[in-house]
Amino acid sequence: MTAYDLYLVSPLLALAGLAMMVIIVDLLTRRTGLLVGVAFVGLAAPAALSAWQLAELVSTGESRLSAQGSVVLHTLSIDRFSLFFNFLILAAAGLVILVSTDYSRRMERLQGEFFGLLLLSATGMMLLVSATELITMYIALELTTLPLAAMAAFLPNGRSSEAGMKFLIIGALSSALMLYGMALIYGFTGSTRLDEIAAALSAGASAGAFPFGSMAVLLAIVLLLAGFGFKMSAAPFQMWVPDVYEGAPTPMVAFLSVASKAAAFALVLRVFYVGFDALGGDWWVLLAGLAALSMTIGNLVAIAQRNIKRLFGYSTIAHAGYILVGVAAVASVDGTATFGPSSVLFYLAAYTAANLTAFFAIVCIGNRINSDEIADYSGMLRRAPFLAIALGLALIALIGVPPTGLFFAKIYVFAAAINTGESLMTWLVIIGVVNSAVSAYYYLRIIKVMFLQTPIHTERVGASWPVNVALGIATLAILWLGVAPTPLLGAAERAVSVLSGG
Amino acid sequence: MWFEQIVFWALAAVAIGGALGVVLVRDLFRAALLLATVFVAVGGFYVMMNAEFLAVVQILIYVGAIAVLFIFGIMLTRDVQRGNAPNRLQIPAGVISALLLAAMVFTAVTTDWTTLAGAGRENQAQIAQTQAVGIPDATELTRAGLSAEEVESVAGSGLADLLIGDFVLPFEAVSLLLLAAAIGGLALARGRGR
Amino acid sequence: MVPLLYFQLLGAALFGIGLYGALARRSAVLIILSIELMLNAVNINLIAAASYLNGIGRFAAFDGQIIAIFVITVAAAEVGLAFAIILRMYRNRGTINVDEINILKW
Repeated sequence: MTAYDLYLVSPLLALAGLAMMVIIVDLLTRRTGLLVGVAFVGLAAPAALSAWQLAELVSTGESRLSAQGSVVLHTLSIDRFSLFFNFLILAAAGLVILVSTDYSRRMERLQGEFFGLLLLSATGMMLLVSATELITMYIALELTTLPLAAMAAFLPNGRSSEAGMKFLIIGALSSALMLYGMALIYGFTGSTRLDEIAAALSAGASAGAFPFGSMAVLLAIVLLLAGFGFKMSAAPFQMWVPDVYEGAPTPMVAFLSVASKAAAFALVLRVFYVGFDALGGDWWVLLAGLAALSMTIGNLVAIAQRNIKRLFGYSTIAHAGYILVGVAAVASVDGTATFGPSSVLFYLAAYTAANLTAFFAIVCIGNRINSDEIADYSGMLRRAPFLAIALGLALIALIGVPPTGLFFAKIYVFAAAINTGESLMTWLVIIGVVNSAVSAYYYLRIIKVMFLQTPIHTERVGASWPVNVALGIATLAILWLGVAPTPLLGAAERAVSVLSGG
Repeated sequence: MWFEQIVFWALAAVAIGGALGVVLVRDLFRAALLLATVFVAVGGFYVMMNAEFLAVVQILIYVGAIAVLFIFGIMLTRDVQRGNAPNRLQIPAGVISALLLAAMVFTAVTTDWTTLAGAGRENQAQIAQTQAVGIPDATELTRAGLSAEEVESVAGSGLADLLIGDFVLPFEAVSLLLLAAAIGGLALARGRGR
Repeated sequence: MVPLLYFQLLGAALFGIGLYGALARRSAVLIILSIELMLNAVNINLIAAASYLNGIGRFAAFDGQIIAIFVITVAAAEVGLAFAIILRMYRNRGTINVDEINILKW
């Protein structure tokens, strides 16, 4: 362990330290404002350290930070890819913390633990996006999931406990499946490091007649996908999503729906594009199947939902499907293998902005009217103009209509799929476009209820200023990505260069 | 060696029988005790595979802590009388498990585990032991043609070197995980405010 | 010596039994018991692989044992948290049966 090792993991250390600090502050004072302040301002430390690492990468022109004799580089890689996700996760965590200001009172005395666990989960996600080795990935996945499962059960009612139980049980089940896959990979290649796995697989790629060179690798990929599918909330591993989304505290769901998903997709990109690189991308058919299934199930079932949190549960399954289209776009006619992954990164960023805006509005409205039924949102435009317009904009973005970031993101993902030149991928794009049209129905229905129907109550719905600030930032992010997507597109393209051997 | 075979089959009978008991008996309490038996049997397998440290850890953590925790949990929730009823999904669950089991058995039987893992060093100790499980001892290694330093490194480097060396990061991350579980568990078990 | 295959088949059998238990039982406690069975099956596979790799020339291949240690540790953390949630659910609902709580609806 050298000083440079500490520098490499310093964002993680800062974030974990912040989590402990928040818990200690909670012991000393019961003031929510102070807790939120410490947690939010403290996020500047890991963000600054990540920015420092990025500056070093930019100035040296290297693709990843490296050092002689470093121990931690055995298990992780600090590169533009991991730093891109670091910033995404930290931004989501910061905004969610601000939004929890009003809501956290519902958790009675558990506010400090709520923020502490949220930060610990974010630490797990940051470790996950930089991990290049199976053991570290497993630990990081569990570090991401366990705090979220505890947080899901934080509300003092039965629904919340059920949500936590379901999340924990299905999470444990899927990690057991994933571990079996890892055990097969380890037994077959003799290593747990992605680069060594890739080397071993390429050495023996021509050895067998089975798909992927061996039955063991095929089964391992299927089992790994079962574990990752849970984290990505992709069908057919989605059965936990609606119940957890409905029962768990809304700010935690907001964090789960964007940060946890982003980290899971980062993991999938790294494992498949680096570890299974030698298999020539044959696995894309499996991912394309998951994508089609997720889009269709998510959108069709969402139509029938009356509870807005449950509806967003199905909506997030559908979006996992769209993103998987980008992951599956591994081949390309012009030989550049980074089109698909960079579209995934851009989509995740745009989705984070849109989904956070929507959930923040739901947090505020639900907190005031004590209901998550769509019918109770009627006439919200008159009761809370700012919240209703922000939520309306987020819903339009989720359909994928300009001038929002997700419009470009969807085009980008579908273009990457077309660019593969596979006819199956073209069909996948057609499924995706049809699904987008279907999704317009249920998103627009909420807008109709909010904008056109008369309110049941006349009572105004408002929120405290930190919540409004967070909502404002997220809303501006949607518009900014829709008007000027180029900087983020460039960042996404540079970030994924490391996946193709850079 | 017939002795190892006998031990293996005896332990396998205990493990499989215990596992079947866990998922089939109606009494939750018995299920937990059967699970503890399975844990002990699995610990026996670890010893057979020369993973003595893991065997000790298995007994201490699984039998000593987790099984006891299960029994406490069952007693605290007083749901023992309700028993261990199956749900409506019995048939699909059976089908899925059977399919996965078949795939795993097929994989284990058809895969040639030597192709990739042994790449590079085939000519050395593989001669000593090919299809069996176990860490070769120093004399076998020497006989297999390894130099004195290589024998030294195999015998000397163990779990600890890796745990505090290459795998120091997950090792530290696990401490965060335990912290998170402790905080979450305490917060949830503390009950409703007050 | 016992062949590698035997241990792999044993692991697969335990895993299948555990999966059946996790999918087909109602009680949250029993589901977690079954998941522990699955994790033990994974550990058998991992240690068999590590031990076998040592035998064929990947000396000091202790990675498998390291994963197993981590799996055991994470399982302990998971069970602890699971029981905290189970106790809370029991207090709030009076039952620990997962499908009695009308959550399997669409």
